[in-house]
Amino acid sequence: MKKIFLLMLSLFSLQAFAIDDPSALIRELNKKFSQVNDYTAHIRMTFDIPGVKMNAMNGKVFFKRPDRFRIRTKGIFFLPKQNPLQNMSAMLLDTSSYTSIISGYEVVKGKKCAIVNIIPLKNSIDLVLGKFWIDVAHPLVMKTQITTKNNGSIETENVYAANSTYTLPDQIIIKLETKKIKISKMMAADLNKKSNDTSNDNKLETGTIVLSFSDYKINTKFADSEFDKAN
Amino acid sequence: MNEFFAIVKNELIKTIRRPRSYIGFGVIAFICLMLQGAFYQDGKELLSTVTAQFDNIFNVQGNILNGNLICYIVLQTLIVQMPMLVAFVTGDQVSGETSTGSIRFLLTTPASRTNIVVAKWLSGLVYTLLLLLVLGIFALFVSRAIFGVGDLMAMNSEGLTIIRADDINWRWGYAFLIAFLSLSVVASLSTLLSCIMDNSITPIVTVMAIIIIFTIIGMFDMKSFDVIKPFLFTTHMISWRSLFEDPLPVDNIVASCAILFLHVVIFLGAAIFYFKRKDITN
Repeated sequence: MKKIFLLMLSLFSLQAFAIDDPSALIRELNKKFSQVNDYTAHIRMTFDIPGVKMNAMNGKVFFKRPDRFRIRTKGIFFLPKQNPLQNMSAMLLDTSSYTSIISGYEVVKGKKCAIVNIIPLKNSIDLVLGKFWIDVAHPLVMKTQITTKNNGSIETENVYAANSTYTLPDQIIIKLETKKIKISKMMAADLNKKSNDTSNDNKLETGTIVLSFSDYKINTKFADSEFDKAN
Repeated sequence: MNEFFAIVKNELIKTIRRPRSYIGFGVIAFICLMLQGAFYQDGKELLSTVTAQFDNIFNVQGNILNGNLICYIVLQTLIVQMPMLVAFVTGDQVSGETSTGSIRFLLTTPASRTNIVVAKWLSGLVYTLLLLLVLGIFALFVSRAIFGVGDLMAMNSEGLTIIRADDINWRWGYAFLIAFLSLSVVASLSTLLSCIMDNSITPIVTVMAIIIIFTIIGMFDMKSFDVIKPFLFTTHMISWRSLFEDPLPVDNIVASCAILFLHVVIFLGAAIFYFKRKDITN
């Protein structure tokens, strides 16, 4: 009985250690990231950006390790400078470039997540602070908040389904703060429209971009030429 | 009826034979080619002044500088010039003949005065349509040939509206129809002034002056101007731009078209009314 008690106690303490150790969580996550050398998927993008009216559009996404990435589609679309599809795994995989701490726990979409703060070790890196909400039971990044020197901060929420074993989300909701995009009356040649109220010009508004993925094809070793092909 | 079409034909021949009729086509071709050349050379730099405000947050992907955007910019640029080109030809259709005295010969034919005015007005509309066709060919098709087809990033003072390439051709069709209706107002006003005045230059200059004054009133955000703006035809002449908004302000577009059509009816009606009672003293 005593042996069983000691065994259970050691198991619990191991799990507690794993939960409290950000490196262990990131290691588990990186194992999953490492399984993906390349992937392609269909993507549907919907946009809600202040000052920009744009319909949803479909395309195809191509990714190859470490950070080659392309969305192939016909038309104009907006993506944040900090592209979460390109940056997240690359950022976490380079474990020598940052230090990590767990700053707390939070439940995200019904899952207990550790809030892992990533602090870069070099000043030359654009990243200021990366916060990753990582599911402690099945290491997956459920939510991120990345702050950079040049491009402000963006938040993402990931929704996983069939490809969670590869850490590939079915949906990424990107939220970022931006000033409303405005064009001057003269530039727009909008002669008969009344001038906009400029009192809120510097007010930040939240923009949302939703990326939905389907039909993932993982590790198919597609040709590099896919990144250079015309639309 | 055959008599009427004979006068229309005759008016069209007169328009074709006048060298000044070709100035409009030349001006349109020159402006389009000049803008296309400038955009080919410096377009990306110019667009960067628009994209600069969100450059640090977003990567804008896709071909922004395409034929649809160039056409949109060309049409905006020609807001003031096109009515002048129309007035240049339609403004002296009656007054030109009054000043030379040839209107007397025309009035000796069995055709009624109403038919003569309407025939002149119709030939003016045909000329306007041809001007727009040339504009469409140069601004839209030549631009697409040079810059390719793509989504339109329509700029207005509210922000940006991205119109997808597969949703744009019908908008251009309606935009050119509204442009035709707008220029028909100018042609009708020119015909009216041409009936009133006996000098061939005065109606042309008067139409241009009216358009310039109305456009300036439309440009300024002043309460006193806001009251009269809805009644100015120039306010509604640029309603073609509304076709590139999302959602489409259908009610506003229909209202603007109705107001423009009403202007055509009033100007043409007044021209007929005046010409029927006019003493030809020259």
